[in-house]
Amino acid sequence: MNPDRLPDSVAGVMGRLVDASAGERLIVSVAALLTAVLLGGVVTLVAGMFAECSALFCYNPLAVYRYLFLAPLFDSFVLQQTLKNSALLLFTGLAVAVSFRAGLFNIGTQGQLVLGALAAALAAIRVGPAAPEGAIGGVLIAGVAMVAGAVVGGLYAAIPGALKAYADANEVITTIMLNFIASDVAFFLVSAYFQKPDSGSVETRDVPAAARFGPELALLLAVVLVLLMTYVLWGTAFGYDLRTAGIQPDAADYAGVDAKRMVVTSMTLSGAIGGLGGAVWVLMSVGRWVNGVPSLGFDGITVSVLASNNPLGVLFAGPLFGSMQAGSLSIDFQLGVPRQLVGVIRGLVILLVAMPEFFRTLGVRWGMGGDR
Amino acid sequence: MTAPAVDLRQITKQFPGVLANDEVDLTVDRGSVHALLGENGAGKTTLMNVLYGLYKPTSGTVVVDGQERTFDSPRDAIDAGVGMIHQHFMLVEPMTVTQNIVLGNEPRKWGGLAVDREQAREAVAELADRYGFDVDPTATVADLSVGEQQRIEILKALYRGADVLILDEPTAVLTPQEVEELFEVFDELTEAGKTIIFISHKLSEVTAAADEVTVLRDGKNVGTVDTDDVDDTELAELMVGREVLFDTEKSPVDAGAVGLAARDLVVEDDRGVRAVDGVDLEVAEGEVFGVAGVDGNGQSELVEALTGLRTPSSGRVALGGTDVTDESRRQRIEDGMAYVPEDRQARGLVMSYDLTENGLLGSQRDPQFADAGRIRWDDAETHAEEIVAEYDVRPADAGAEARSLSGGNQQKFIVGREFAREPEAVVASHPTRGVDVGSVEFIHDRLLDLREQGAAVLLVSSKLDEVRSLSDRLGVMHDGELIDVVDPTEVTEEQLGLLMAGERPPDVPRAAVRAGGDA
Amino acid sequence: MSALKRFGLVAAGPLLLGAALLIARLFPETAAGELASVVDGPYVASALRLSVPIAFAALGGIFAERAGVINIGLEGLLIVGAFVGVAVAHWLTGDAGVGVGAGLVLLFVVAVGLAITGAALGLLGDSLGEIALRGGGGVVATVALGGLTAAVTGPTLAATWIAFYIAVLVSAAFSLLFAVVTIEYRADQVIAGLAVWLIALGAAPFASNVIWGAVNSPGVDTFGTWTMPVLSQLPAVGSVLFDAEPPVYFVLLATPLSWYVLTQTSFGYWVRASGENPKALDTAGVDVRRVRYAAVLISGMFSGIGGAGLSLGRVGSFVGSGTTMVDGRGWIGITAMLFGNYNPFGAFGASLLFAALDALQFRLQQLNYAVPDSLIQTVPYVTVIVVLALVGRTRTPDAAGEHYDSDED
Repeated sequence: MNPDRLPDSVAGVMGRLVDASAGERLIVSVAALLTAVLLGGVVTLVAGMFAECSALFCYNPLAVYRYLFLAPLFDSFVLQQTLKNSALLLFTGLAVAVSFRAGLFNIGTQGQLVLGALAAALAAIRVGPAAPEGAIGGVLIAGVAMVAGAVVGGLYAAIPGALKAYADANEVITTIMLNFIASDVAFFLVSAYFQKPDSGSVETRDVPAAARFGPELALLLAVVLVLLMTYVLWGTAFGYDLRTAGIQPDAADYAGVDAKRMVVTSMTLSGAIGGLGGAVWVLMSVGRWVNGVPSLGFDGITVSVLASNNPLGVLFAGPLFGSMQAGSLSIDFQLGVPRQLVGVIRGLVILLVAMPEFFRTLGVRWGMGGDR
Repeated sequence: MTAPAVDLRQITKQFPGVLANDEVDLTVDRGSVHALLGENGAGKTTLMNVLYGLYKPTSGTVVVDGQERTFDSPRDAIDAGVGMIHQHFMLVEPMTVTQNIVLGNEPRKWGGLAVDREQAREAVAELADRYGFDVDPTATVADLSVGEQQRIEILKALYRGADVLILDEPTAVLTPQEVEELFEVFDELTEAGKTIIFISHKLSEVTAAADEVTVLRDGKNVGTVDTDDVDDTELAELMVGREVLFDTEKSPVDAGAVGLAARDLVVEDDRGVRAVDGVDLEVAEGEVFGVAGVDGNGQSELVEALTGLRTPSSGRVALGGTDVTDESRRQRIEDGMAYVPEDRQARGLVMSYDLTENGLLGSQRDPQFADAGRIRWDDAETHAEEIVAEYDVRPADAGAEARSLSGGNQQKFIVGREFAREPEAVVASHPTRGVDVGSVEFIHDRLLDLREQGAAVLLVSSKLDEVRSLSDRLGVMHDGELIDVVDPTEVTEEQLGLLMAGERPPDVPRAAVRAGGDA
Repeated sequence: MSALKRFGLVAAGPLLLGAALLIARLFPETAAGELASVVDGPYVASALRLSVPIAFAALGGIFAERAGVINIGLEGLLIVGAFVGVAVAHWLTGDAGVGVGAGLVLLFVVAVGLAITGAALGLLGDSLGEIALRGGGGVVATVALGGLTAAVTGPTLAATWIAFYIAVLVSAAFSLLFAVVTIEYRADQVIAGLAVWLIALGAAPFASNVIWGAVNSPGVDTFGTWTMPVLSQLPAVGSVLFDAEPPVYFVLLATPLSWYVLTQTSFGYWVRASGENPKALDTAGVDVRRVRYAAVLISGMFSGIGGAGLSLGRVGSFVGSGTTMVDGRGWIGITAMLFGNYNPFGAFGASLLFAALDALQFRLQQLNYAVPDSLIQTVPYVTVIVVLALVGRTRTPDAAGEHYDSDED
């Protein structure tokens, strides 16, 4: 990309992003991912020795890799799943990225997503009958649902934000606790007040069909949101304040940032994006709120960490994980390898990305890179 | 003839890109007090770190008490009888005096399963007695004064059997009174046969306390002299290498209305202790008001209250006649208050940002760089480039990361950014800390330019020469109070020292308030 | 918050329990009396039992964080302990059980593995002799313990105990991984801790699926209870304090022991110095790295005891669905540690408070109160948040979370 040919504002923003150490972070991310996947293969191989089957190694790592990464290419169902997962992971990955950039460990995206999803489903169901027929009505309902999701997600994240800002409560623990609370509360609300009649599982009624859309639209929305957030973070004074508060709070104070307000605002923003993701999950994937929301929140953390908490990086890390998540069902059904393998790889990725020193040492030993 | 306590021969220490010590010879006689004098970056601390085993010399030999030694770590140095008291104390604050002193060498009982606290306490008390120290072994270190903590550090070294004591800038945080006490301790110790080496860049202290002084410049030993045979100016020339001018040109300026004021200001520090205890001050437009005093007497909190980083418990702050006490930091910046902070790496710059982004620190909403919150990066870059050019910041690259600059250049950039605001009031806290001599003069000239343009300048500094030569009026802070406001041209060093210690000597030449308009 | 306030909150637990007992005794017919009647001997006993994983996580966290390493992955370590305990026990005594002998061999192998890793990291000493002595001694002691246990108890119980020992060692090994990542490779401690948690969260149900084809394990034998001969006959306290599962005794021992180590021994001094001013410790000639490793290993071992104590203590199986049977107790443990201000007794008191709420929640569900189960379940979590909001800024060790480099050439 030639910075000289872009409009000034964009070039300026791009210039901010591609700094000297970005290249290094990219290499570390890629190396971490490869290593984690490799280790995942080793785990698969070793686990295969303990499973019940006639051979010594019950699981074939190569087959696992094929399903995890290449399946979208040859299985249209898996492709659909991948697209859906990718869209959702773009939302949650972005949500986490925004909060991590602000220096806040928002582990509560899952809870914000669950409640946002519920709010969206209920709003869509409520507004449905009042909306006009056809596509316009659908857009309206979907719009209202998404706004509801974002608002509720944002408010739910504002709680730990305020607790951190004004009571100095550790946000890692409060957000994790709120995750537990969110699933319990949502379960209660649905089973008590919004339960779909004659249904075996805990779920709401279906949202109006007109409001539903496919993964392509969801992806488009996600990409637009990512670009918007990128611009906000690097092109506006608010973004400058947020980033500075996340890197060096003392300098942010000096620059006139209201620290407490920034904590609450950035958490709310992160929660709103997560809640929006929940709304998209309802409208795109399942068409209602149903108990047992997939762990998109935690995967969002992995996506963001892999992307060095950079929204643009999330554009790449999201689909990567989307593919892996979609593939995890295949490896279970087709190969008998438990799908939790992807959960293990998820943790390994975060661990490896967190230790760039490890790769730096490796790189030096293998003679890569110049002096620092 | 007894061997010298310490004999460093041709010590060279090379770091990537920096030759910190260049074939330095140093001989210290047993039972003497030897000072190591030099500017920042001259290599004094590095040399002593070699002696103390923190660094291995690139070449050269270390001879202690006649025996050649190789130290792999401070443990080896301590075993050889060399102890070091660092500038930043190595004390565990929540633990007691005794616990700190015996740390690592705790006396045990019950077959090693527990620390023998009685024995430890006795050992500490006995040691303190022997060298005439007045300490309470059971006191918690966090509750002690800085001077007392320093004495604990010395006791720690003595407990481990040090015969040679190295002190790194020991007087940096002491009041003149405490400095006197420290020098008395030196006497006690040398009488008991100990050898003392202390690092300093303060000429007067060196001549007062040391028997001999070695001057380092740019990593080389440029001379060892007896302190009786030499005077301040000669030492200063050795230190800097050229004739040093101690005066700055200052033209008289008519002071205007009150530019910056504090009324009855009471500010608490992070622990809830009153750090500023009812301070009244006024800085007129076109005036430099200096605040002298030993670090830690409330200057930081005063500055934070004035600039909006800390809310006072009571009292008012005024900028240009308007009460700004309730205004946020951001509003004060917009009202025209510039602030050169004390801590450049935590507050003044974001180390991972480049200079362009750092140029916006505080001005990110200024119409000069942004329309309604949207940043115009070209204008920001131009701004940074202008600062870099005018203040000779090196490397001259607006895209360089702040952390890649030397401390002096970082400081110059910050000063440039703040002064470029064309501010109404400037609060400058230790603005030339860590800056090389040439740039210090430049910054001083710019500061005086602002004064001529009619800004109200509050200058807080622990460098007495700086604060005396630049100020129109000089206030002294002690224990949270502005003890007195004096005429910097008339007041003597002794009077200043006494004021800084909280005393009120007679016949101090006071400075009349110069602000016109309402007071 | 002030020490008085904090003490009040921690003491509130036992005080409330006492008040409840009184009310139930004096006013049995009223609503309050009915509610208070929930608090009885078995209730307190179950609160004690439930406090075990929380308290061990908290105690472990105290060592690690006071030494300067924030170990957020305690939840993961509990999961590892819980799972490994059941997995090994099943391997030894399940349908295709291999017997206690194999268990001892496995114990030996794991101990040797740990010793070798420790030696490779330079933790066991500087001279070959020191390393051999410490490493070899550790292995011998571990196997001896295993053998002694097997000799003293019957074959099934021995299997449970050996599985327990192995779980503790494996949990320690996991924490060693965390230590290496944060101390050697200077990873961000919070992110590395989260990673450890997520790895364990995935690995346990994964392994469970691989071995048994389901996320929940089949049943294994538990420890049973230890009934102290005379003391268990004491009125009221007897059945609660002196007739309990071994893990309860362990936690009642570990708490004062931790306090003793931290305040009365050299190692305790070093741990505290390492977390407040590691440079001071370094210049005092103590290897900061080894101290930090040791502290993290202690947190791993404690978590192993807590986790295996949870699965082998009463439940007798591993539940790997959802958030696993550990269900956030590691996080609650961290809160208990903060609430108790890094003091072992305070942390235990706080753990007991949270466990009491957990036990209350179970009881209320059993009694079928009007309030729906799912809401009752939120009580412990809400309490954690309230506590964190009230406790606010605790006096964390100055150097906690920071990497320490002894500046070498």
